[in-house]
Amino acid sequence: MAQESTEIARGLRRRDPDLLDRLIEQYQHRLLRYLMSLTGRRELAEDLFQETWIRVLERGHQFNGKFAFSTWLFAVAHNLAIDHMRRKQPSSLDGLMNDNGEEASFDVPATGRASAFDLTLQREQSEHIAAGMQHLPAEYREALVLRFQEGMSLDEIASVARVPLGTVKSRIYRGLSSLEQWLKGAQL
Amino acid sequence: MSSISNNDAHERARKLIALAGPDALSASDRLSDQPLSNAWLAAHLATCASCRAFAENAAEMVRGLRTIPIAAERSLVSTTQIKVRRRALELQHHRERVWLVSISCAAVTLCALLSAAILWHGFEWLGSRAHLASSVWQVGFLVFCMMPALVAAILLLAKDRHLADHSGSYEG
Repeated sequence: MAQESTEIARGLRRRDPDLLDRLIEQYQHRLLRYLMSLTGRRELAEDLFQETWIRVLERGHQFNGKFAFSTWLFAVAHNLAIDHMRRKQPSSLDGLMNDNGEEASFDVPATGRASAFDLTLQREQSEHIAAGMQHLPAEYREALVLRFQEGMSLDEIASVARVPLGTVKSRIYRGLSSLEQWLKGAQL
Repeated sequence: MSSISNNDAHERARKLIALAGPDALSASDRLSDQPLSNAWLAAHLATCASCRAFAENAAEMVRGLRTIPIAAERSLVSTTQIKVRRRALELQHHRERVWLVSISCAAVTLCALLSAAILWHGFEWLGSRAHLASSVWQVGFLVFCMMPALVAAILLLAKDRHLADHSGSYEG
């Protein structure tokens, strides 16, 4: 892990395009999923996806390899999303919603192999939870995605979102509670 | 009073469940680094149906979150790779230009210092041959050194004047 981070740091200092190609391939889905959780809009998430990798190229020398590359990558993406939001509406991450106020969709083609029934069930559940996620404030979505989809530690989430550890804990708890409440309400 | 402490207990239990992490949510040992909290949570869950339900829901939500299918399209990845390579090339050219300019500046400075020293000795020799006072050949040296810059400045001024005159005549 540390060895891998050191090699990545060395390659980024050299601005090695082959390394960047590999990293883009490796982190494509995770980064896009994270940006979708922040922005709630696929189009914007894709723009930020490209900007994030350009920023990684330009600021690669700042990655020292002491932490996991993914933590640094998500922090870069987070900062870009915040910058975008500030340009648009200088208040909170909730500025990252659809311009017309519509709920954004997480819906994209599913992958993997399972029985048709399982697939349908899984898809329904995922769609349900994705819809619930869209009703959460962006900072809760971000915390839940980093914690439960990315499996990051609380400290890593704090460094990505640049907030104190207590805030991260609070966001995860509140996010999960709000999601549960929404899902309960939606089932009624 | 007891309802307040009950509420605190529920909140504490739910916070522990939420923070336990994706793999610990459905496991019996929820927080391996906090055995006291684990024991307390296990005891609480044994008697509290609502927190048990929250734990089950939370585990289900986490499973659901993990299966939300979001995938980057191939075109996005390839476009990004092309853009990154193009930018890398631009940065490389820029770095090469900066390096070239720096080397040129260093070479010019070195040449200027060397030629100034040689010229100084040349003027000194000429001054002694012509029996001139040292202040005279030193002024001559200064004028000679400043001559290229003076000529360039005069030419630029003349060019500006010329352009100004012509643009005035065109407007007129």
